[in-house]
Amino acid sequence: MSARRERKRRERLESIDAAIPVELYGLKRGTVSVLTACCALFALFILAPVAWVIINSTKTQANIFESFGFWFASPFEFFHTFANLFRDVDGDGTYSQWFLNTVLYSLVGGVGATVLAALGGYGFARFEFRGSKLFFGLIIAGLLVPITLVAVPLYLAYAKVHLINSIWGMILPSMVTPVGLYLMRTYVELSIPRELTDAARIDGASEVRIFFRIALPLMVPGLMTVLLLAVAGTWNNYILPLIIFSNNTLYPVTVGMGLWSQHAGNSGDANLYPLLVMGGLVTIVPMIALFALLQRYWRGGLLLGSVAN
Amino acid sequence: MSETALRPSAGAVSPSRAPLPRRRSAYARRRGRSGLAFVTPFMIIFTLFMVAPLGYAIYQSLYTTKLIGGTRFSGFANYATVLQSGDFWNGVIRVIIFGGIQIPVMLAIAFFFATIFDLGIAKWGPVFRAVYFIPFAVPIVVSSLMWGFLLDPAYGPFNRFMNVIGFHGFNWLSSNLMLPSIIIIAIWEWTGYNSVILYTALKSVPRDVVEAAILDDTPLWKIILRIKLPLVRPAIVMLVFINTIGAMQLFIEPSILNNYAPGVVTATWTPVIDIYNTSIADGEYQLGAAMAVVLAFVVIAISVASLAFRRRREFR
Repeated sequence: MSARRERKRRERLESIDAAIPVELYGLKRGTVSVLTACCALFALFILAPVAWVIINSTKTQANIFESFGFWFASPFEFFHTFANLFRDVDGDGTYSQWFLNTVLYSLVGGVGATVLAALGGYGFARFEFRGSKLFFGLIIAGLLVPITLVAVPLYLAYAKVHLINSIWGMILPSMVTPVGLYLMRTYVELSIPRELTDAARIDGASEVRIFFRIALPLMVPGLMTVLLLAVAGTWNNYILPLIIFSNNTLYPVTVGMGLWSQHAGNSGDANLYPLLVMGGLVTIVPMIALFALLQRYWRGGLLLGSVAN
Repeated sequence: MSETALRPSAGAVSPSRAPLPRRRSAYARRRGRSGLAFVTPFMIIFTLFMVAPLGYAIYQSLYTTKLIGGTRFSGFANYATVLQSGDFWNGVIRVIIFGGIQIPVMLAIAFFFATIFDLGIAKWGPVFRAVYFIPFAVPIVVSSLMWGFLLDPAYGPFNRFMNVIGFHGFNWLSSNLMLPSIIIIAIWEWTGYNSVILYTALKSVPRDVVEAAILDDTPLWKIILRIKLPLVRPAIVMLVFINTIGAMQLFIEPSILNNYAPGVVTATWTPVIDIYNTSIADGEYQLGAAMAVVLAFVVIAISVASLAFRRRREFR
């Protein structure tokens, strides 16, 4: 390699701070186009079910079966089906009710999980106390426990303390997030300088004041990550509500739609298939919007989970 | 585990142990109490809704209820039943095959795209990254429903497609293809999330390492496989861990898809389906609890084995 070429490269590298320019990797011509095509193909695979749901939310049950899946067919039934989400069409329950339940469980559970993880993560990151290593080890072991395994014993315990068909039976377990606590502890260790909290302590600030005035504002990006993961976790939960709720007005969307899909084949006049499609669409739109809006917060937080081992 | 239980031992300084070298100062004790106060709310909920149910499951698994004679202690009888149950172990083997194929394939795809995004060697990287992450926002029940529609034997467009290209009578949800179909669905669900985590890990590889390699005329594939891949191995190990625990709990996808192809997914198809049917549908919750404990041990054994594997690799 000639010295001149080397010097040119070096200059090029030093002149740009952000990313290394693509030309410097010495790729063959056309590589970028081929890789872009690969990305587009995989994007097609990802978007296919979403596109299907959007297109078929406009169709009648007969057209869902008979017309080509990836194109529209008249009559346009979107608004009629959407209106049916607010009615109990076959006696299994009303989608709008389930949707509100899901929002309630996810928000209360998610906020609770975030508060507990923030306090606990800060406690484990900044204090040493008798049993702190043991407790933390126990929580890490909790990461290994399959959540579905807790559902059945919870049901048995709920039967004893009358928490079957109680919203708290759903919300309180949703507040247990070993992952959230682990993320918060890592976040505090990496992003809040010890000197800062120690200085405040020397100035005589109380621990509570230090937490709320100094630590908490610096923890916001980590908190957003934990909040999103906790909300998504509760939004997704299926087996726990399936087991503990027998009253269909308490179902979240996941259990309600699972029940519909069981009955869709033999629901007679109720025409549940368009409702299933529309329900799917209405369920995913708010979550996609939420993740898109808050992505600059959770991106940084996910990084922590990946590098802090 | 409560605060009061710990306070006496943490605070007491007994005279017999007077010359304690590591005797804690009043300041340290006060700080310790503050720390305990911060972690107590989490620990209470954690204990009530995770530790206690698990303890209760272990306790229940040692008892048997009979129609005549009521509930009585039966030692490890439930465990003997589980260990000898061919159906249960078939389910365990099925989820191990599922994870054994799905996780490596998905991680390879995720790493491929994460590398492309990290190096910026494809156009519109940020757009693709956002698109790939969409399935993470879709509840698994809903994604199973959507895929059920696409793969439905009667009207699913994907079956029609297979018929058009010459595979007559092709059925994605037949008993032979159910597991491969679920592998495809799981890849759809999780690739984006794994790819974002790998992407952020790759971004944290120091720039000057890569620059030095470029100046040495290292080919790109070597930079990726010999420099970047080893540096993000902790992230990969964590992802293998998380995905393994998830795979072993396979439940929602087969239960929902069964509504599109009745009878394909049996009552013991995966361990969690088996546990659900045994304890809730059949009401034999003590046997179900024993199954849950055995499954937890299988999960822990696999996780520990993967950790041991990681340690051994690091010596080389």
